[in-house]
Amino acid sequence: MFQSEVLFAGKQGRTLRESLTGYAFILPAVTLIFTFGIFPVGFALYVSLQKWRLKRGDFIGLNNYVAAVDNLAFIVIFFLALGGFVLLWITIKKIRRQADEHGESPWVFALPGLAYAATVLSFLRWLIILLPEVLDIAGKVIGIERTQALFFRFLGEALLAESVVPAFGLFVVFFLLSAFAASWTTRRNNNPRRIRYQLQFAISWLAGTVAGLLAWFTWREVGRAYIAAAEIGSELEIWPQVATVGSGVILLVIAWFVWRSSHTQTSDRSFLFRLLVAILFMLGGWLLINELPILLAAGDKDLWSGLKVTIFYSFGTVPFQLAISLFLAVLLFQKMAGSELFRMLYFIPYVTPFVASAAIFRQLFSVRPASPINQILKLFGLKSQQWLQEPTGIFKMLAETFQFDLPAWASGPSLALVVIMIYSIWVYVGYDTVIYVAGLGNISKELMEAAEIDGAGRWEVFRFIVFPLLSPTTYFLSLIAVIGTFKAFSHIWVMRHEFSLRTVDTLSVTIFLEFFDKVRYGYASALAFVLFAIILGLTFINNRIQGARVFYG
Amino acid sequence: MAERALPLTSVQEKRLQSLGNLVASLKKGVTYAILVSGALLAVSPLIWMISTSLMSLGEAQGVRLVPSTIHFENYTAAWQEADLAGYFINSVKITLITLVGQLLASVLAAYGFAKIKFPRRDLIFGVMLSTIMIPAMVLIIPNFLTVTWLGRIGPIRWINNWPALTIPFMGSIFSIFLLRQFFAQIPDELFDVAQIDGAGHLRFLRQVVIPLSKAPLMVIVVLSFMGSWNALAWPMLVTNSPKWRPIAVGLMNFVDEAGQRTNHMMAGAVITIIPILILYFITQKQFTESIARSALKG
Repeated sequence: MFQSEVLFAGKQGRTLRESLTGYAFILPAVTLIFTFGIFPVGFALYVSLQKWRLKRGDFIGLNNYVAAVDNLAFIVIFFLALGGFVLLWITIKKIRRQADEHGESPWVFALPGLAYAATVLSFLRWLIILLPEVLDIAGKVIGIERTQALFFRFLGEALLAESVVPAFGLFVVFFLLSAFAASWTTRRNNNPRRIRYQLQFAISWLAGTVAGLLAWFTWREVGRAYIAAAEIGSELEIWPQVATVGSGVILLVIAWFVWRSSHTQTSDRSFLFRLLVAILFMLGGWLLINELPILLAAGDKDLWSGLKVTIFYSFGTVPFQLAISLFLAVLLFQKMAGSELFRMLYFIPYVTPFVASAAIFRQLFSVRPASPINQILKLFGLKSQQWLQEPTGIFKMLAETFQFDLPAWASGPSLALVVIMIYSIWVYVGYDTVIYVAGLGNISKELMEAAEIDGAGRWEVFRFIVFPLLSPTTYFLSLIAVIGTFKAFSHIWVMRHEFSLRTVDTLSVTIFLEFFDKVRYGYASALAFVLFAIILGLTFINNRIQGARVFYG
Repeated sequence: MAERALPLTSVQEKRLQSLGNLVASLKKGVTYAILVSGALLAVSPLIWMISTSLMSLGEAQGVRLVPSTIHFENYTAAWQEADLAGYFINSVKITLITLVGQLLASVLAAYGFAKIKFPRRDLIFGVMLSTIMIPAMVLIIPNFLTVTWLGRIGPIRWINNWPALTIPFMGSIFSIFLLRQFFAQIPDELFDVAQIDGAGHLRFLRQVVIPLSKAPLMVIVVLSFMGSWNALAWPMLVTNSPKWRPIAVGLMNFVDEAGQRTNHMMAGAVITIIPILILYFITQKQFTESIARSALKG
């Protein structure tokens, strides 16, 4: 009691007390989000590197990823290693620039930075070695009465297991070293930027080590793959593939940079720059177009068909959804009697539980000739359709009514998927409309009125003032909608029928089937990471392309 | 323009005016027609559901749109025979437990992030916020393993029991985000005054902040309710008996089993939808506004 009063006395004491209160307030939520939202990402990565069917099996490296995307796995990991080295180079450059600015030598801080990086890495290594031991506790307690004492005994055993103790020792050594290094630099050096330098060095050491490890891992895995291929007498072309795809991507990236800088050039040079862009783009694109289909064909068929379905689903829902809701929002925004009521009605599909509304759509689009939608077709003199049980592509079906025959690649999304798209649009139009109405409310009335006084028609006001000023809203909605199509699960699960022959199985559904039906935990985790990588890539591209065009008036 | 126009006689002026009125009201009529047909498209599946749920089996199979006689026994069939009653009660229990946990954790965390200063506050919030990007399919496998493990070593089972269905959903970054935005608008001077009166953070939160934030709290209640009512993949994994199975899974099984009994199926759908719709109608104004506001700021 006395001690705590001393601790919390004075201005510093009050700050300390305030900080501790803050941590106490956020602790429950942070613990929950960490346990079920952040830790699982690392855990899933761990699972994806094992042979894991119901029970944990052997460590098999990249095999799950190779089974999913074939040699693309090696290419991606090679690029991750490359990215690590680039990060290393960038941070070192940053450190040197800062040091030059202040005319000082930063290199003395590299040593404590190394100690911190080693501490982090040895801690992670300890966790990875400890994890299976801790997981095995669950197997040990089967059949015996569970008590707290027993759990702690097993936990103690896990912590003191043969392989775990040296890893922990290494961590402790590095931890003490970093503590020593930290206090040593603080005493020796009173540079105001010392903490920043140390952190930057720690980051560059981490990036370098991780990149080195990844490069080594790629080298080993590729070597193993070559040996395994030689045993069964087949030939591999991993390194050539890495080279071609790599140079293709690099050419495209360079083309992008040149294109960006061409805007700042004078008109003559800008033309030359654009020509260069075109050449680079075509070269890179040609390399990729030649190589990627070979790679994709060798990967998991279910994965690529899932990706194709997801892309169809995105393109078939997001633009329509946004166009319809923008139109409705503009009409609603005129502040007429009853607009509140309309807004409320439009929002209803979004709040309706997915399983229930999907069950309704399953009945509306039932195969029975008496089902409501088939009856509507009959009103127009058309024949009944199979809807959710129809695997044939929609373009192919349309072409057939005009006696055309389309090749398989041009047949488009299946009719079953089209029904699911209609459902999706029905659900999300209301949500998008409400947000568009709010976005319209943020646009200043004066601007619109000024344009009208200048003689702009209603369409022109919309095209040149309202629409550009709405671009942040459109950007937000399209990002949310595209990511939503990649996450979509419940309604597809309710509406999928075996007769649709997996033409409605998006990536999420494919992953769930691998996990739920085939109990291939490791492989399903690898597929989930592929999905995660695609979502991250999409967000990044969206940020770059659309984010640059969004007009934040 | 006005300079060049010739002065109009009063008759011409009146004619022009009435023509303008006609065009304006025509425009208004078209707008209303579009808005009304949009609203009809939005709600007609639900109206069809209610209508079918009151039909006899023969009528539900046929082409009728309105039942000739009202068959309420479809609801008893869905409620009792398919045991939607049991699933319904499970869902209510799951929702309430999740809600209490989520509200407690989110209110505390949102207050901490909005009103208390501590080192690395924005960094921690940023890391938490970045988890929104992670697709559920990445989390579902490791979380299933974690939950199984916790149930094996801990004092209570997690699988097929309430913890697996509720605890993972108690930490909701979206709720924290919504509340934090609202709490941040409450002026700091209020807290300074409260502090002079001897109130700490906890009392200030309980007596000032929470009474002021009824609207966002209501929104979180609706969102959390919707989340529990919508969840399908996760409950399918962690329940293997009707004992704790929520209504989404129950309704899905019913839809698969009911086969041709469309009327019973639609009665089941009505039972599932009604609580959410009631909650929505009560809170709809605050709810839609908060959703719109959070989207525009996020």
